[in-house]
Amino acid sequence: MADPYAVAAELVTQAVGTRADEWDRAGRLPGDVVRHLAAQGVLCPDVPAEFGGMGLTSGELGALTAHAGGLCSSLRSLMTSQGMAAWAIRRLGDDRQKEAFVRRLASGATAAIAFSEIGAGSDLSAMTTSVTLSGDRVEVSGTKVWVTGAAYADLIVVFGRHGDGGAVVVVPADAPGVTVTPVGDPLGCRAAGHAEVELDAVTLPADHMLGGAGLPMEWLVTSVLTHGRLSVAWGCVGILRACLAAAVRHAGTREQFGKPLADHQLVARHLAELHVAEQASTLMCEHASRRWDDGSPEQVGAAVAAKHFAATQAAKGAASAVQVLASAAARDGHVVARAYRDAKLMEIIEGSSEISQLLLARQARELWT
Amino acid sequence: MSSSTEQAVAAEAISADLLGFVERQTKASVTADLDLFGSGLVSSLFAMQLVVHVESTFGVSVQGEDLKLDNFRTVNAITDLVLRLRGNGDG
Repeated sequence: MADPYAVAAELVTQAVGTRADEWDRAGRLPGDVVRHLAAQGVLCPDVPAEFGGMGLTSGELGALTAHAGGLCSSLRSLMTSQGMAAWAIRRLGDDRQKEAFVRRLASGATAAIAFSEIGAGSDLSAMTTSVTLSGDRVEVSGTKVWVTGAAYADLIVVFGRHGDGGAVVVVPADAPGVTVTPVGDPLGCRAAGHAEVELDAVTLPADHMLGGAGLPMEWLVTSVLTHGRLSVAWGCVGILRACLAAAVRHAGTREQFGKPLADHQLVARHLAELHVAEQASTLMCEHASRRWDDGSPEQVGAAVAAKHFAATQAAKGAASAVQVLASAAARDGHVVARAYRDAKLMEIIEGSSEISQLLLARQARELWT
Repeated sequence: MSSSTEQAVAAEAISADLLGFVERQTKASVTADLDLFGSGLVSSLFAMQLVVHVESTFGVSVQGEDLKLDNFRTVNAITDLVLRLRGNGDG
């Protein structure tokens, strides 16, 4: 049997081709591309074979995520969202829920995951979306914003308040009371299908609510965010690789003052810093993925560190790449212009740089006291 | 089915591991009946690390209904949970 990583990487390469620029400008991924990749299980390829998935390890998933991130951060964002949705169900669901939902996600269904609200971004404890059980039904009411992939999703995994804690409900996007409104002109990952999701007394069978209901919100979100942070971190490695390739190619061929740009020392420094940023980010991601694959509790902190470092490096590195390519990259759609906009968003999502720093400072004090 | 003696030995080993883990993480001295969350000793962030530690160390899967605060409130409660999940696993 072929190596599942190689199969998945080839599917992504074929699906994207040279069309990422066009998708960025259109602000939309073609429906048939999303469907095709979902049907092959590529959007959540770490789902184990027992649920019909490709069964990639976190390390393999990371390599695939970097590959996708280097080609198209919008597609990579969809993989991040679907990966988190499938993991949330695997982490919190019982056997029946996993059989019902995870198998669908590995074989054609698409998913988004909804945390943020107007008044609850970094402070998820301020969520007001309510999850209420009544007999054999569960009712979900609230409004979620910036839900990545919601414009393409069949299922939306929604976090809300439940009693003194939180709960997670798998909401079909076509259930009565669900309204999905795409975000107009996002700064980055423009084709990732960001949308507002309004849930107006959405009533579902109670078995759409996952286990862990009533746990403190941080318990519920931590493992899922760890999955997402790893994915974003690896996606940033992909951004850095795309920027390196473009910057090295351009600086090696374009001549000014009678020699290639790369032979001008101030330009060469940009290449050097990008080169080191890519290597260091890759090593941080590999370390965090190994902790995940080992089932080590250190995975939580390692993922925050990798995400914070890789996102910061990607934002800096993409800005350098724009500087090196200058007018050659200063138009929407160009791989380096996309990287510049997409990387900035990576410093914001799945824990902003500042929130990451708070978590890392706490970690530092625990380790060094 | 384990005899009650074997059960007690197993419980002691599980409890010792958990006390060691929590003490290493919190750098505080902990007793098996201390309310880990009520005491403010461990953060909610630490909670998921605790779940992952329990799963990877004892080869159990904590999911669905078992994912609740009371099962993780004290080292004694976690020990009971592990023993119960192991019992289920062995049939």
